[in-house]
Amino acid sequence: MAKKSGMRGGNKADREFVSEAEEILETMRARLADLSDRLGAGAEADPESVNALFRAAHSLKALAGLFRFDPISDLAHRLEDVLDGMRLGRVALSAALLEWIDEVVALFASLLGQVGDAGALADSAARIAELSAGVGAITAPAAPADDFASLALDANVLRALTEYEEHRLRENLRRGRLIALVDAPFEIKSFEEGLAELSGALRESGEVLSTLPSPGDAGESQIRFSLLVGSDLGEAELAARIEFPGATMRVVRAGRARPQAAPGAAPAAAAPVGPVAPSEPPAASFAQRAEGERRPSDEDASAAIPELESLKSISDTVRVDIRKLDDLMNLVGELVIQRGAIADLIARLTERSETARIGSEFVKVHKVLDRKIRELQSAVLEVRMVPLRQVFEKVSRVVRRLRRELGKQVELEIRGADTELDKLIVEALVDPLMHVVRNALDHAIEPADERRALLKDETGKISIEAFQRGSHVVIEVRDDGRGIDRAALRRRAEQAGRVQPGEALTDKETLDLIFAPGVSTREEVTETSGRGVGMDIVRSNLAALGGVVDVETTPGRGTAIAMTLPITLAIIQSLIVGVRDRRFAIPLNSVLETLVVDPAAIQTSEGRALLNLRGTPLLLRRIDEEFALTGGARAPRPCVIVIGVGEQRIGLIVDRLEGQQDTVIKPIQGPVQNLRGFSGATDLGDQDPVLVLDLSALVEDALRRREAA
Amino acid sequence: MSELTPSAPGSWEEIARAAATRRAAPAAAEVLRQLLCVRVEGAPYAVPVENVREIVRVRTITPIPRTARCVRGVISLRGEIIQVIDLRLRLGLPPAAIGKANRIVVVQADDGRVAGVLVDDVREVLRVSESAIGSAAGDAQGIVAALCTNGSEFVSIVEPGRLLEVGGRD
Repeated sequence: MAKKSGMRGGNKADREFVSEAEEILETMRARLADLSDRLGAGAEADPESVNALFRAAHSLKALAGLFRFDPISDLAHRLEDVLDGMRLGRVALSAALLEWIDEVVALFASLLGQVGDAGALADSAARIAELSAGVGAITAPAAPADDFASLALDANVLRALTEYEEHRLRENLRRGRLIALVDAPFEIKSFEEGLAELSGALRESGEVLSTLPSPGDAGESQIRFSLLVGSDLGEAELAARIEFPGATMRVVRAGRARPQAAPGAAPAAAAPVGPVAPSEPPAASFAQRAEGERRPSDEDASAAIPELESLKSISDTVRVDIRKLDDLMNLVGELVIQRGAIADLIARLTERSETARIGSEFVKVHKVLDRKIRELQSAVLEVRMVPLRQVFEKVSRVVRRLRRELGKQVELEIRGADTELDKLIVEALVDPLMHVVRNALDHAIEPADERRALLKDETGKISIEAFQRGSHVVIEVRDDGRGIDRAALRRRAEQAGRVQPGEALTDKETLDLIFAPGVSTREEVTETSGRGVGMDIVRSNLAALGGVVDVETTPGRGTAIAMTLPITLAIIQSLIVGVRDRRFAIPLNSVLETLVVDPAAIQTSEGRALLNLRGTPLLLRRIDEEFALTGGARAPRPCVIVIGVGEQRIGLIVDRLEGQQDTVIKPIQGPVQNLRGFSGATDLGDQDPVLVLDLSALVEDALRRREAA
Repeated sequence: MSELTPSAPGSWEEIARAAATRRAAPAAAEVLRQLLCVRVEGAPYAVPVENVREIVRVRTITPIPRTARCVRGVISLRGEIIQVIDLRLRLGLPPAAIGKANRIVVVQADDGRVAGVLVDDVREVLRVSESAIGSAAGDAQGIVAALCTNGSEFVSIVEPGRLLEVGGRD
């Protein structure tokens, strides 16, 4: 099961701090990713991203200060300074600077892991000092400023601009955008809404540089505001888009002609380049920005809004400790078990004629109870579901860092980030997924010159796609690299003693060797992939979650690795089967079909039992032989349960089908940890535990003939 | 969090109390340990009470195939699934049928590992002073950490951590 290191035990205040701080770091990473993508693509930095980073650093500083984590607070303060310089145009955005911020964010993450451990926090002081000192060398001053004298702007307006606004104005001038002053009257009672509406509309066409109270005539109950706007649109176009009653527009400076600027594609509203960066609603960003540089003249306008906005944004989500959800889930699980017990009692009542009537009344009540429990169950499950987005963001951050380090040109494409999975599964998925992606980047994708020679696109491509398939989620990592060399793989497996020379293997069996312990496809261990886990660990990590991994590869064309995981571990439908005098549970989501067969239909070939299933041979395993069960007797006509795990299919021979049941699969606690063949156990009610078969392990063993021999 | 500041006015009482505590200290060093005494094959064994989570009657034990012989199987304890070690088999004694007196002692080792331990009978809680506990000569299984006396009997004190060290298969 997923374990979170470090903070599990800490006190409540520490946990709250860490959880809140982690959320802030998540925002930072997303914004950083966006900036880095834009810088990489040669695009302009999105000022909103810089601002968001600045705000995040500020919040983190305040938060750490509040909880008295001085090292974190100090570092956040340093970061805030640098970001402030960046947003005011005093510091130029550069790859080195982004890298520095990346490192600071990484250090925050490791500092959070040390919260509650005062010694470790103190030890990190040197690293903090080093990073703080290191930034001086890379914060190059930005390009010299333009002169505003040529602008048709009133000196009073210029004087009222804050340093940040001046910087943004300069930036817009440098880009040759149209600068205009939009003036409009607002009802005093409701000017906040009106202002927000107009700003929102303008923001769709460009950037609102400043909002100033205007001295122009206004009605009794009105107040005028001027909005300084920069836009890529032409004068007429921009004017046409302003549909605010009483608004007038005056051009301060005409824009440079932009032949390619398609109407409607206003940069400020353009979609972020990367797969990440969820954009904030315009109203919130207005409010938060205004909060940053309040000045006396618009104190009233900006002070009222941010407070309202920020309250709203806090109140509609609740952060909950995953352990509380686990407790809730356990309670629901026990309820589900009790429901089963009640159903048994009802069955006994209805069987006897003297209690049949009350029994049938019970049936009705039980039905309602049953429906409500199901609703409760799915509601709780829903709460545990989180989108894969955060994991994917983490992965794309690592990819960006690695491609910089490795000097490889790689494009990462992410699809299906909204696909949802149980929070615990998502947590446990991070490491295996990261490993697979690292492998692709490090080993699969060839260097640019090699790709050129192969007439491939110089930029390699890695795609990660998630989608739901039934009660499973598939996460597929595809690359267009060199593929897996089957002959080399086989050689290595032979060296590692996993295959005998000359042994015949199917293509699938050969490829499966990459999951064998001690078999590696890489020539040498590199820093990138050599540390951490191998593909065998990826497989066993996924198996622990009830998941499987499949490989597909074409030499020279690339590899696809598909990880299939159940959506939730919490409550699943199981098939209860009888084998001799024992009972076992089989997760129903892997059962394809069940058949009762004539023992004569089971053929034996090379020591393997096979069944002709509609023309396809199906490999069979006898559960009693698998687990050396000898008690009781076999049924004359056995049942075959066809199970599918990933791409693999096998049939399990059991004696009886005893029914389906909702089951809460629990880990088996105790001294023996490696119970091969069982993924856990479940209580069927009345303190009667039943072992749950680990189908991935069974399939794996069945396909590995060597062990059977 | 009161700090001791002996110079505080009216502290005679405190000084007297502190002196009394100091005098009482050597006696308090005689630490008493509480041990849960169980029986297997007529012989007494003991587990430190701080390692005992609870004692339950024997319920359905579902066997686990392909595992060590001394692991009888799993029980469900309020939804938790816990392995049960048969202390007889763990000590290398012959197996016996489970009867009415049998109990499962749920033991938690200091490192957090949990197991049910099947015993013939649970007797009593012994209070033994630390100084009266002698180290064991070392039994074959390495489970008994120390010995103490209870009347005329020698009681083997089991070390829960070692008790729970069971190999995967026989």
